[in-house]
Amino acid sequence: MSFTRMMEGNEAAAWGALRARADVVPAYPITPQTELISHIATLIEEGKMKAEYIKVEGEHTAMAAACGASAAGARVFTASSAQGVAYMQEALWMPPGMRLPIVMCFVNRALAPIGGLRPDHNAALMQRDNGWIQLYCENSQEAFDTIIQAFKIAENKNIYLPVAPCYDGYFVSATATSTTIPAQEDVDDFLPPYEHEMYSLHPDNYKSPPRATNIAKGRYEVQKAHERARKVIADVDKEYEKIFGRGYGIVEEYQCDDVEAVLVTMGSMTGTAKDVIDEMQADGKKIGLVKLKMFRPFPTEKFQEMGKKYNAIAMVDRNTSYGSAGGGIVSMEIARALYPLNDRPLLLNYHVGLGGSDVTMKQIEYMADKTLEAVSKGKVDEEVDWVELHDLGEVM
Amino acid sequence: MTEKIFDEYYKNFHMQGGNTCCPGCGGPLFWKLALQALGPRTVLYGIGPCAGCATRSIKLPQFNLHFSFVADASAGIKRAFKVKGWDDITVVSSAGDGAVGDISFGKVSAAAERNDDIIQVCIDNEAYMNTGIQKSGLTPYGAWTTTTPGGKENNKKEIPLIMAAHKIPYVATVSVAYPQDLIAKLKKAKDIKGFRYIHALIPCPTGWRFDPAKAIEVSKLQVDTWTWPLYEVEEGVLKLNRKPEQKPVSEYLKSQGRFRRLTPEQIEYVQNEVDQKREDLIAVDGKKITL
Repeated sequence: MSFTRMMEGNEAAAWGALRARADVVPAYPITPQTELISHIATLIEEGKMKAEYIKVEGEHTAMAAACGASAAGARVFTASSAQGVAYMQEALWMPPGMRLPIVMCFVNRALAPIGGLRPDHNAALMQRDNGWIQLYCENSQEAFDTIIQAFKIAENKNIYLPVAPCYDGYFVSATATSTTIPAQEDVDDFLPPYEHEMYSLHPDNYKSPPRATNIAKGRYEVQKAHERARKVIADVDKEYEKIFGRGYGIVEEYQCDDVEAVLVTMGSMTGTAKDVIDEMQADGKKIGLVKLKMFRPFPTEKFQEMGKKYNAIAMVDRNTSYGSAGGGIVSMEIARALYPLNDRPLLLNYHVGLGGSDVTMKQIEYMADKTLEAVSKGKVDEEVDWVELHDLGEVM
Repeated sequence: MTEKIFDEYYKNFHMQGGNTCCPGCGGPLFWKLALQALGPRTVLYGIGPCAGCATRSIKLPQFNLHFSFVADASAGIKRAFKVKGWDDITVVSSAGDGAVGDISFGKVSAAAERNDDIIQVCIDNEAYMNTGIQKSGLTPYGAWTTTTPGGKENNKKEIPLIMAAHKIPYVATVSVAYPQDLIAKLKKAKDIKGFRYIHALIPCPTGWRFDPAKAIEVSKLQVDTWTWPLYEVEEGVLKLNRKPEQKPVSEYLKSQGRFRRLTPEQIEYVQNEVDQKREDLIAVDGKKITL
């Protein structure tokens, strides 16, 4: 039966694994992911969820066990955060190349050192090159919905890639918001059991993907799967919306009619930013908001469309890329996406919320104003602004 | 008639002809014997010895991630089979001494603690042989490797007894020089539920520096000098499977170039260590070991 109640992101994600009927959950606890796997343990203990929970001794093993279970035909779910994701690094490269449709939540947390337990996006974004699909979520409801969609995307036989629903620790993982968990039968209709077409480890029916004799060709196949995934992800979201009434798009353009510039946000800060945008638009300021949900594959075409519509695009990067060509990880992606346009918009980049510090309404207003100022001047004075270095008055 | 004999033979022969192992490597022989015991409803995870040189020739379902991944994906495979109700399939996890004893020691220990329903095999050729003979935690005292050019200064880890200390249902040491013992132990392991640990010493002519034709002779000497005693620990009870009349350890050491530099004092040290271990094992033979 469907039900709605206040639920923290971690509990919603546990329900996601339950409703998706994950068969095997290998997991290792790490703050702020911990409640997610404790919830799963409880749901299994109470008999509500039927899954094999492998209580592993580290994240490297968690992902390895996930690979084994997935290759053996199970639907596999796991989750980790920051240090755990880093510890898992070697194993994280396996599922994309092996085409294993594992779903793993990245419960975002800052990496040590110069970080805390609270969220920034570095740990997830540093996985940008290894072939995982990454979908960023704003709240509990979106975390749940994205997990269900993630399995549908991952198990599509034209994709067969692992998917990471990413949501911010604390701000999403430990903040209760109203969440609707749909009925099991409805989720079952949307996400039926699947059989991997490339794998079977059963001795009576053994098959495994052929080893690519041309390595470049092997890699190109993963690249092509990512390119196909852009459409599949959008389509799965539309199908989900039709059935469950909630869709998110691969990017969401919020209040973007007739604006001069947009701020681009990811994850939990989006809610705060939407409030600020509402207020600023009420004051007549022509600033909109773009929520970037799908980071991998990168929505290049969407940004090219936006590049033609807006005079300035300002990326709010909750991450650092020390010594980069300029600014944060996502702004560099956007710059590459916009480069082929003949008439490029101004590109601004803000670092904010690093190491999990709060992203305040004041800061968002500051970034929006500065972006609009660049539009009116027709040039960018400071391409990369570390917003938290300025004293903007109020800090929560 | 002859055809029939061959048919029968090949039914239990799960290796295909040819492999990329060095001449005299004990790896293919180990797998031939082990799979003869385990039978065709077996899934192999991992590699060993020396990457996939031997395992590549195995004609059963296989899955592999990378060298450092031991007893991990196999746990996942077994759990997935459990979900599917395929309970009659034996899942074997294989890795070399460097993987089991060094980099993934924690993984093996954890799988043992979880009592994952798999057979973990350690293919021990006493060094990182695939990368070109580098010392591992299971390289014996005094042995030359490219990273211990003057001979290893420390002792070999006692992994089988460490595994027994995990109180798992079954631990056994095996040698390719004693095939009947090896087959019997793997057959026994197959019928036990839970984490089973088989530690096989694999002769490596390339890394140990001896004539490939003498692989079995060298392996026999390991057992007969008590350098590598054959025993099993079943439900905590240790049983010595072979109690040969002890040959001097120098015979074993002199059979290989890797021990060439050992001084008489060092050989005496090795002899004393072997004697002590022999006494310790004989003292607990047939008894429940508490560790």
